Amino acid sequence: MDESPSLSDTAILTPRVIEVCGLGKRFGSRWLFRGISFTLDKGDRLVVLGSNGSGKSTMLRIIAGLETSTEGQVKGEPKLSLAALDQALYPSLTCREHLLLASDLRGCEARDQELLEKISLAEAADKPASQLSTGMRTRLKMALAIQNDPEVLLLDEPGAGLDEDGRALVALIADEQSSRGALIFATNDPFERRLANLELSIS
Amino acid sequence: MNSASPSWKREIRAIFNKEVASELRTKSGLMTAGLFGVVAVVAIALSSFGMKISGTLSSGLMWVALLFSAAVAMPRVFLIEEEQRTGDLLRLWARPHAVFWGKCLYNMVQMLITGIILSALFFVLTSRNVEIPILYGVSLFGGCASLAAAVTLCGAIVSQAANRSAMAAAISVPLLLPLVALGVSSMRVSLGEGSLLGGEQAAIGLLGYSSVTLALGPGLFAAVWKS
Repeated sequence: MDESPSLSDTAILTPRVIEVCGLGKRFGSRWLFRGISFTLDKGDRLVVLGSNGSGKSTMLRIIAGLETSTEGQVKGEPKLSLAALDQALYPSLTCREHLLLASDLRGCEARDQELLEKISLAEAADKPASQLSTGMRTRLKMALAIQNDPEVLLLDEPGAGLDEDGRALVALIADEQSSRGALIFATNDPFERRLANLELSIS
Repeated sequence: MNSASPSWKREIRAIFNKEVASELRTKSGLMTAGLFGVVAVVAIALSSFGMKISGTLSSGLMWVALLFSAAVAMPRVFLIEEEQRTGDLLRLWARPHAVFWGKCLYNMVQMLITGIILSALFFVLTSRNVEIPILYGVSLFGGCASLAAAVTLCGAIVSQAANRSAMAAAISVPLLLPLVALGVSSMRVSLGEGSLLGGEQAAIGLLGYSSVTLALGPGLFAAVWKS
């Protein structure tokens, strides 16, 4: 029997998780960014850098399918999750209810207790989101983002509002994502920047 | 971009339960619908105190109360997602058809509760009798289902628009006018005025209207939801 790998075997050996081709976004006559192209393989961690208003968050939203691009495309349909700084939570729903709702809608396991313990929110499990601090909300958003084991995890300013433990949690989640797929995160924080092995600068 | 395929039943139930949980904690929808409807019915009863209101006028007044109760409360299920900026969570997690069905189902239950309360209050306060209870039941059930479906669809489309007030008027007037005409016709006959055949036809029209709205609604909603 011939032992040489076929084309499909080669693809499995070097899994390509996401491919972004010539992405551009224009508001009116002004281009926010243009010609963004990159390919990420399993284990890649891409940090998107840029000044305020450069379009980092918009780019993540386009990749997540929440906004349309003016030009370019995202190839493939990987399982995506997004946790963003400006993402809102349901004020009257508790932390646990958020996780249960998300799991029902995505068709994945809730793992609510496991995730709440992981993000150190087990004691606040039955608190409504309106009573959580900014840091606690950020932790909950990260738990929601990793609940469905995404192939591409998108984090927008993941460390904003987090204490030292929270930052360590971001690092842990980044490590775990490397074994699952790819990570794309937008930040200007020097600590978070060190978590990446690839950099993309938007100006 | 969810690649997982959850069951429709589980998804729709999750959206419905979320709406119920939020409503039980905030009580905004039932309070708004109830307040308007109860005040309208009490005002009608007080202004017509000592008089016998005709079936035609009664059905018209009941529909005014039902229509405006629905109009002030039902679109909230979508508008609040945009106001709270939680719509993105649903866009990330759920399929548009499930979002529409879950919210529409919740609105139907809320509308039916409102309709039953308003009917009971109306007939107690105005001392009117229902001549054909089955036809009245079909009119009320079909009317509430149709109202909920139509107003949910309007709310879903309007919530995505930049100019919501203008859009609401442009969409809801042509969508709701035929519904009100059918509803008043069937309810009028159930209160003892007009031909039975006309009332039955109007009631069937109501059920047909709700079926068509429910069949077209999810597709229309899906087109605007992710745009």
